[in-house]
Amino acid sequence: MVTLKTFYLLINQLIAIKSFARFQKMASEELFSAEFSEEILDKQDDKEEQLEIVDEESEIVAEVKEIETESADIAQAATVEKANSTSENSGPEARLFQLPLTRIRNLMKLDPDMNIASTEAVFVVTRSTELFIESLAREAFSYTTQSKKKTVQKRDVDLAISSVDSLMFLDGAMNF
Amino acid sequence: MVERIEDLNLPNAVVGRLIKDALPEGANVSKEARAAIARAASVFVIFLTSSSTTLARKQNHKTITAANILDALKQLEFESFVEPLSTDLEAYRKAVKDKKDKAKSSSATAVANNSSANDEEMETEKTS
Repeated sequence: MVTLKTFYLLINQLIAIKSFARFQKMASEELFSAEFSEEILDKQDDKEEQLEIVDEESEIVAEVKEIETESADIAQAATVEKANSTSENSGPEARLFQLPLTRIRNLMKLDPDMNIASTEAVFVVTRSTELFIESLAREAFSYTTQSKKKTVQKRDVDLAISSVDSLMFLDGAMNF
Repeated sequence: MVERIEDLNLPNAVVGRLIKDALPEGANVSKEARAAIARAASVFVIFLTSSSTTLARKQNHKTITAANILDALKQLEFESFVEPLSTDLEAYRKAVKDKKDKAKSSSATAVANNSSANDEEMETEKTS
């Protein structure tokens, strides 16, 4: 029963995050379009800077190619990942990640707007989640030491969340 | 899709280990604090995915790539993650590539063995 409730709250959270992301998107789109039109103006007016722009363009083309090859790899990568996650868990070489990739992928699939995530993307999300856990733990621990204690309490986590700007999105997500 | 609701929670043991590794020795974490951090991590995944999807969509890509995730992290003020992640990603690519190469080389050696056997056959034919 408790888990079911948690699930609904997670979904609610997702919806809240979606609207937040849309707001961000609106803001960043404005920025992007401003940048873009500047670039176009540059192209038309400043022929002296053309070389530079050409460089930029080729960079972009290279980037696009990279992305295309990446997405072309997905069908392959999907099978590779399966082999990978099983063998890497038992492999002698140092583990690249500790959280389960499938669990992370399932979480990512909760996003109705997401179609496919490349294996590399899932890996990066997994790793960044690990980094996130570590940094949040450290942040919380700083409040623990401030109160001269050795055990991190939930209060410390809450304090960390409300005091760090980049953790703002968690505000209100923790009250269930 | 998700079959069981428990599939949405990150494994407690792993989260606990990650937290322990991040903190100095002698530090403890209460159960509630660990649960809170685990929940925060789940929300972080959803949040990051959502931002990355938006970025991918902007580029008219249906698939989220590693580059999208890194861009999203920059946008969400987690720039400090980008550099270690890039090196990790490289290591991951290398591991995947090694795996592929291994698979290839094992099949290649099989082919090579075959062809050398053929060569030997040819040679024996020639000598005879």
